[in-house]
Amino acid sequence: MKFNKSIGLYVHIPFCFSKCPYCDFFSIVTDNKQLKKNYLSALRQEMEIYSQKNKDIEIISIYLGGGTPTTLEGIHLREILDSCYSNFHIKKGMEITVEGNPGTIYDEKIKMLLQAGVNRISLGAQSFNNRILKKIGRIHTKKDIIISYKLAREAGYKNINLDIMFGLPGQSKAEFEQTLDEVVLLKPEHISLYALSVEPGTPLEYLVKKGKMKLPSDDFSNELFLRAIDILGGYGYEHYEISNFALSEKKCFHNQIYWKNQSYLGIGAGASSYIDNKRYQNYRDLNEYVFLLEHGILPIEFQEVLSWKERMVETIILGLRMMEGLSKSDFLIKFNVPVEKIFFKPLQILIKQGLLEENETSYFLTTKGISLANNVFMEFID
Amino acid sequence: MTITQVIKIDDIRNFSIIAHIDHGKSTIADRILELTEAVSQREKREQILDNMDLEREKGITIKSKAVRLSYKGLNGRQYVFNLIDTPGHVDFSYEVSRSLAACEGALLVVDAAQGVQAQTISNVQMALENNLSIIPVINKIDLPTADPEKVSKEIKNIKGLENSPIFLASAKDGTGIREIMEAIIKHIPHPNGSLEKPLQALIFDSVYNSYQGSIVYTRIVNGFITPGMKIQTMSNKKNYEVSEVGVFTPKRKKVEQLSVGDVGYLTAGFKDISLTKVGDTITNNDNPAAKQLPGYKKVIPVVFCSFYPVENDDFHNLKYALEKLSLNDSAISYLPENSPALGFGFRCGFLGLLHMEIIQERLEREYKIQLIATTPSVLYRIHLKNKQVIEINNPSSLPEINLIDYIEEPFIELTMISPGQFLGGIMELLQDRRGIFKNLEYLDKNRAKLLYHLPLNEIMLDFYDRIKSISKGYASIDYHIMEYQTSPLIKVDLLVNQEVVDNLSFICHKDKAYERARKLVDNLKTVIPRQLFDVPIQASINHKIIARSTVKALKKNVLAKCYGGDITRKRKLLEKQKAGKKRMKRIGKVEIPQEAFMSVLKID
Repeated sequence: MKFNKSIGLYVHIPFCFSKCPYCDFFSIVTDNKQLKKNYLSALRQEMEIYSQKNKDIEIISIYLGGGTPTTLEGIHLREILDSCYSNFHIKKGMEITVEGNPGTIYDEKIKMLLQAGVNRISLGAQSFNNRILKKIGRIHTKKDIIISYKLAREAGYKNINLDIMFGLPGQSKAEFEQTLDEVVLLKPEHISLYALSVEPGTPLEYLVKKGKMKLPSDDFSNELFLRAIDILGGYGYEHYEISNFALSEKKCFHNQIYWKNQSYLGIGAGASSYIDNKRYQNYRDLNEYVFLLEHGILPIEFQEVLSWKERMVETIILGLRMMEGLSKSDFLIKFNVPVEKIFFKPLQILIKQGLLEENETSYFLTTKGISLANNVFMEFID
Repeated sequence: MTITQVIKIDDIRNFSIIAHIDHGKSTIADRILELTEAVSQREKREQILDNMDLEREKGITIKSKAVRLSYKGLNGRQYVFNLIDTPGHVDFSYEVSRSLAACEGALLVVDAAQGVQAQTISNVQMALENNLSIIPVINKIDLPTADPEKVSKEIKNIKGLENSPIFLASAKDGTGIREIMEAIIKHIPHPNGSLEKPLQALIFDSVYNSYQGSIVYTRIVNGFITPGMKIQTMSNKKNYEVSEVGVFTPKRKKVEQLSVGDVGYLTAGFKDISLTKVGDTITNNDNPAAKQLPGYKKVIPVVFCSFYPVENDDFHNLKYALEKLSLNDSAISYLPENSPALGFGFRCGFLGLLHMEIIQERLEREYKIQLIATTPSVLYRIHLKNKQVIEINNPSSLPEINLIDYIEEPFIELTMISPGQFLGGIMELLQDRRGIFKNLEYLDKNRAKLLYHLPLNEIMLDFYDRIKSISKGYASIDYHIMEYQTSPLIKVDLLVNQEVVDNLSFICHKDKAYERARKLVDNLKTVIPRQLFDVPIQASINHKIIARSTVKALKKNVLAKCYGGDITRKRKLLEKQKAGKKRMKRIGKVEIPQEAFMSVLKID
């Protein structure tokens, strides 16, 4: 892999205290201390290989995601960050996020992270309704969310995200609005709002197929979603990406790298990278991942060179996820051709269908287009 | 040139085996073949005469065959037996009747446990119409549930069999086969006819061979035929020269001549099978017969449906496959058809439902073409107000209602034999299917024979399955087509987003229109995917809406997160969805997966 630009750095921590039935992120539940130790060495080793090959990588953001990064000890998380700092050029004042789950964050740990340079905490709250939390297999309660949130705030974090889900089994409109009320009361700088989706191969898929769990209809979920945009907007949150809201200047820098289709390096088992028009994915199997790095081999399981057309399509469907939309000039600079020249027909169809709008600088989704984003994206695919 | 009879006509016996499905026709044939040593042990396969896999599977014979067997009677004389196998289903009753016309006698096989069934009776009737001597055989007497005494009584109750001697057999272990062979000599007369008379050869079947064209199975009724002879097929007055004559033993074997009483095959450069029509007469061009043999009919399809390939690209494969199949089955008709909803396909005609099912299965199995078959239809006769009469086999071709004087549809006479306890349910169903009760008689204490007249159209959908479930499989059905009758029929159109979908229109009795329309509209609602706008689904009669449902507009599709690790997968997923979308059919602005039609078209 050759790097020529500034890139975002993602580090994957594939450990959880328990597995949520809907989650298809890669993680395992283990208390095998040796395995975790080996994994941490492997992470360090992977970063070293990259830095030896490319002396001038500049990192412009760091994101520790999972799994649940906070299942690791504070000291271990600090070690990971130290490896990042020692192997790469670091952009001053950049965003450094650590994901954590309520109930896994303690005073000492969260302070240690702050000292290690972390300046953004993302909490997987999901809901403030204990009955629903239990139903979707979360091990925390509303009280845990508030405690963890306050710990982070008191420790000095000025940028906190809460993950919230909607379209949950048995969730009423009133319950969802109540959760939103509790969220805005805490005044997090950032809110990620996801529809519960049934991913293939998850226990949730099994439960739904067997009729053991009933999910609300798409129409109802859509109602909740539109309601959330309304309520959060009223409290000053800018809806800046399909699933994300932020107070001014607190948009997630790291995630915008993805949506702007810029380069990032993923470290860890199952992590993905996008460098120089190539997508890479690491082995998910922890033993495989550790074994290869013990032998100094990059643990890449899969790579794909994107064609010119595929890059264009990805740039469009990622760009349209952002409410500011797909920048016409960015597209022109990137591909040396105006987007209308290649995608005239789909753009016109979508505008006619009322899913897309255009202004001088960009194309962007309408409210209807946000709910039907997949229909919009599909139009650009051959 | 002096012509002599190769085999003495007194030594020939031509016979068929007739039976209800699964009563053991093919096994009896196998045992007879073994006893005459026509088949060596090496060649022995269960049910030798059934060649096609489908025939083996469905337990029925689709194409008839003829085998020449050599049998030395207990009297020491050497006989020639020609065993003509017949198709065992009502759809092929004309073919059966022509095969029977080539015989002087028939073995009537009846299962010792199941007794006389609907088809047993219709077979007997057909054999008697052809003046055959019938030898009843009660088969499977080895079964623990066998009751030969009871079955004997049932047989003797059949008109025309009151005085026939009945033979007991078990084809499974060979019991009674020798006795049957002797009975064939004794009870079935040898052929009549004259070697000196002009040639009259009955075509009772033909198969297509890519080297020799149509190979004709024939019975020489008068005269003789040899290679080199100039012949004519009398129905169409076309002339040919015989290139080969022979017999099946069951291996194909050339002979020098077939003469009066013989059964065998001939080839004469018939380019395709439609030139050698079952029931037609072949005569000698230089010394032609005055008359065609009686009984010839042009075979016409009675059941129609459209086949569309699920994959549009398969259209040419479908065309090729139909061409291939019709080489050996002149009863299939097919015409190209274009539907806005389903693309390019064929409107096909068949001899009946089973015939249709067999062809569909062969297309899917042998030619690997995934098909959408539309609802089967009968041939309607439309009397217009301007005194013109037209025939239509596709509801969508029905003229505007104000032009129509009245409509006729084909009726059938249906015979059903069932244990008494199921009669209530059966008669209820028949009533519901517009059946007209004609007769009920008890064959014995438990079993009754029902006679109904009803429209052919009413047994097209889910009839056999319903009878089977009502009677727990004990009822047997047979029918034959009667005349056309006037019925109060109307056409119901289906509209998706205000556009009529041809393939979903149907013709039915006016009293049933609303209920069927309601079902179809509700069912369509579940198979049409939600679009970006509301899609009304309507059923109409003569432009008046009688039922409606709505597919509500799609409000939201997956609102999933999308971060670094999701991008590739997300794109792949969208590509897959797009590929699926591309295969969809458009009715106006509405996109419908072809598969959706499959479930809808099956609705009763």
